[in-house]
Amino acid sequence: MSAWKPLLPVAMVGTDRQSGPLPEWPGEVGALVAQVGQVTSPGQAAPGTQAAPPASIVEGPAGQVLRTMAVIATCDAAGTQDRIWTAPPTEPAAVDRLAVVPERLDGIEGVAGSPRTLLRWALTEAPTRLQQLAFVALAEANLRLPEMLLPLALDAGRRAVALRAPLLPVLGERGLWLARQREDWHYAAGAAGDAPGETPWTDGTLEQRRAFLARERAADPAAGRRRLEASLPELSAKERADLVAQLAVGLGIDDEALLDRLRADRSREVRDVALDLLLRLPDAAHPRRAVERLSPMLRRERALLRQHWVIDAPEAASADWVSDQIVIARSSTEKLGERAWWLCQLVRQVPLGWWTTTTGMTPVELLAWAIKTDWADAVMRGWFDVLSATREIDWCEAFLETQTPLQTHQAAQALQWLPQVRRERHWLRHLQQGALPLSALVAAASGGEMLGAELSQAMTGQLLSRARAGTLKDDYAVRAMLVDFGAVVHADSLSAYASLADIRAADETAAHAEQLQAVAQTAALRRALLALSPDPTPRTS
Amino acid sequence: MTLTMEGVLALAPDEASAKAARGLTSPAKWPLLGADDAAVWGECQGSGSKPYQTQVDLSGPAFRCSCPSRKFPCKHGLALLMLRAQDASRFAAAEPPAWVAEWIASRGERAQKKEERDQKAVERATERAAQIADGVDPAQAASALADPDNAFKRESHRWRRIEEASAELQRWLGDQIGRGLGALDDASIRGWRTMAARMVDAQAPGLGQRIAAAADGWRVGADWPERTLSRLGLLKLACEGLARRETLPEPVQADLRTVCGWPLDQAEVLAAGERVTDRWAVLGVIVEEREGRLNERRVWLHGERSRRRAWLLDHAHGGRGFEGMWLPGIAADLTLAFYPGNAPLRALIADASPTLEPEGAVGTVRLAGSESWQDEWQRVAERVAAHPFAMLHPVVLANATPVAADAGPHLTADGRAVPLLVGDADWWSLMAVAGGHPLAVMGEWDGRALRPLTAWQSGTKGPAWSRSAA
Repeated sequence: MSAWKPLLPVAMVGTDRQSGPLPEWPGEVGALVAQVGQVTSPGQAAPGTQAAPPASIVEGPAGQVLRTMAVIATCDAAGTQDRIWTAPPTEPAAVDRLAVVPERLDGIEGVAGSPRTLLRWALTEAPTRLQQLAFVALAEANLRLPEMLLPLALDAGRRAVALRAPLLPVLGERGLWLARQREDWHYAAGAAGDAPGETPWTDGTLEQRRAFLARERAADPAAGRRRLEASLPELSAKERADLVAQLAVGLGIDDEALLDRLRADRSREVRDVALDLLLRLPDAAHPRRAVERLSPMLRRERALLRQHWVIDAPEAASADWVSDQIVIARSSTEKLGERAWWLCQLVRQVPLGWWTTTTGMTPVELLAWAIKTDWADAVMRGWFDVLSATREIDWCEAFLETQTPLQTHQAAQALQWLPQVRRERHWLRHLQQGALPLSALVAAASGGEMLGAELSQAMTGQLLSRARAGTLKDDYAVRAMLVDFGAVVHADSLSAYASLADIRAADETAAHAEQLQAVAQTAALRRALLALSPDPTPRTS
Repeated sequence: MTLTMEGVLALAPDEASAKAARGLTSPAKWPLLGADDAAVWGECQGSGSKPYQTQVDLSGPAFRCSCPSRKFPCKHGLALLMLRAQDASRFAAAEPPAWVAEWIASRGERAQKKEERDQKAVERATERAAQIADGVDPAQAASALADPDNAFKRESHRWRRIEEASAELQRWLGDQIGRGLGALDDASIRGWRTMAARMVDAQAPGLGQRIAAAADGWRVGADWPERTLSRLGLLKLACEGLARRETLPEPVQADLRTVCGWPLDQAEVLAAGERVTDRWAVLGVIVEEREGRLNERRVWLHGERSRRRAWLLDHAHGGRGFEGMWLPGIAADLTLAFYPGNAPLRALIADASPTLEPEGAVGTVRLAGSESWQDEWQRVAERVAAHPFAMLHPVVLANATPVAADAGPHLTADGRAVPLLVGDADWWSLMAVAGGHPLAVMGEWDGRALRPLTAWQSGTKGPAWSRSAA
């Protein structure tokens, strides 16, 4: 607004105090200013009489400044345009090879809106699990997000770290370019996340170092072990325990020496991690010594015509136990007696495989046998401790199927150690027996992997019958998880799941109506993603 | 009328209503759904025992619902239209029930009465215009006509009051410049507001608004002295114009009347305004909230054959929605009646009900490809020269690349740049759509920055980006 500059001093100070000749402007603007100053004001000379004096005389200096202002204001408004731009042009985004999510999906049943609208809904209102599912599905279909949704998607990734990895492949060149334009989207700009080199290990957070070590162990176990070993002196106890646990990736007998040293670590946590890992190496020296110690306690006896196994507890502790991390003194709150305690300690250092090979019994048979022995509590506690380190599937199943005096939380743990397919069988049984509240099952099932067809059908069936009975709207816990559940429900059950949204109660609340609408949106999004998928047969996990 | 979800959503008074409406689009919520050529109706199960009776006159669309909501249109009306847009087959073609038929009939009656009123006003205005053309003095022409509601007398009375107020404003302006802007303090700014109120009392609210805007801008931004001088300068120009109003050409008089905040009666515009028939494409739409829950909608149009620009201005109070579905990228064959003025831009639709269709061919090529930035600035300069009081100018900048600079968002091309006035979410979606490549961007130029409304990509149908609803 440089046109105003000559006028500013007098306008700020006021013509009362600074009356003098007005500044002049060059060119046509100046000519117009001068001309306007000479124009007669109306009302100062009646028509037909002689010419009135110029307005500049009549109105005084203030009037003259005002007239000039009127001219400058108009000329300035007419003349203001774009300005000179000297900044170097930014590199435009590269051409995208990936196709963009299509605008419409015609003829797909149950997909009312455009897939883009559904994705927008998912990015603004859906839980992270559903967003993640959408990104993964788009990546599998070799599609990228539409440009308009990129800012929302980058913001979602900024908030939820779990989304970043699945988001990257669907950003396309445009999304990567956009991420470079804004500071808080730099996580997706390509450089930081998957940089080669050792930066994540040398400069990263504990999470990044853990991920780095796991990657290296998977590729080259020896290199990973050497890296960890070299860093041990500078790590805190918590970090040592955390990172040593990563030796589980690519664990082998070569790791024995390091683990054996770590058995004597200052930190109890690290010692426990090392012992747990050693249990997975039956050929290592420490578990072999443990087997030698336990073997004499187990013997076969003949009663009448049948042979049966008998377990006994040690009569006394041995001096060499301490160096193998056997705790001889039990705590004052311990429920086991002294000999039982010692037996439990011996059992928990022996890999479970020794029991099945030695006795020829299956885990289920072993559990049935152990319950009847005199030392049932000690043996089963020891076994469960081993299982927590080794997580053998048949032992988990045996614990879940046998009527053992297991605590509920232990049962839950054993369930957690199972792979998804096996776990679902138990969920299904709980569902059919009504042993657990539906909300607990929905909570456990949601947020994880995609559910199998059978469990999905059973759970959706229960939800539907509750909706029809009108009780679903009052079950706040289940209601709130319906969308999360929709993200993992099997494709075969999508129709049943979607029909939840059509069961409306007359007295439903606005909040419930919104949740049901979200159910319909979830189902529509899932169907759209399935339709986009290169392999439209539903995937079974 | 082609109903689309997007079109229906554009009618929602706010985001909450749109969301609530989406929650009601389950057919299970609607025990009764019916339609005929003129209307759709339905009964929606609400929280009470009696269902709400919701109906939409498709010619508007106009809404009516028995629910107590103060929102307009309410969620039920929106949901009904969404259902219709999603799946028209759910609506049984039927004779409308009494509650629908009565309403449609009463709307028809009202429309007819309004038409008759308008027709009368048109006849009067035409007659007066004819007499003036014959050389009869306007005042006599008016008084000679039967002037049942004393309109002319009232009009000249109001002009007199405005002219007196304008003379007072001139003196006041002189006082301010005499004392200097540097001497302004809270007390003197209060005085400015008093002056603004006096203008409103003198039936020149437009002048009052300009004084109030100048008071609001006091010490706002580093360039406030320049901006204040510009505002006061234009007020001076208006006063000068008002003092010699009768000697000015009629279009300029009309502009002065607009500056005073005294709009012409719509009937008069329809009767006497310049008519332009063309295929009008929607360049951009913006809804902004003004003071006191008043919503203002501006629709910018571009005539494909006439190459003229036009704007439609609507206001809606307290959460009411707007009639008519104007979306960027659609075009319609319409006859517009322009408000008189020295650079006419504001217009009314002279046809009864337009049929809007998505316009596939509105692309950069026909819209802006032939016009350079320089041509656009020329348009602005000419309009300012003809009508210095105009505050917003529609501008289409072709070949414009959005750039995030340290100084904020800009559009750039060939070493030139324009600062943008844009919200964060809109800005980043515009950036995403452009990806560092040029777009054609339509926006409102306010003399300092451009508020982008719509953007097109070369070679694609329809807009690639549009400003999100406020």
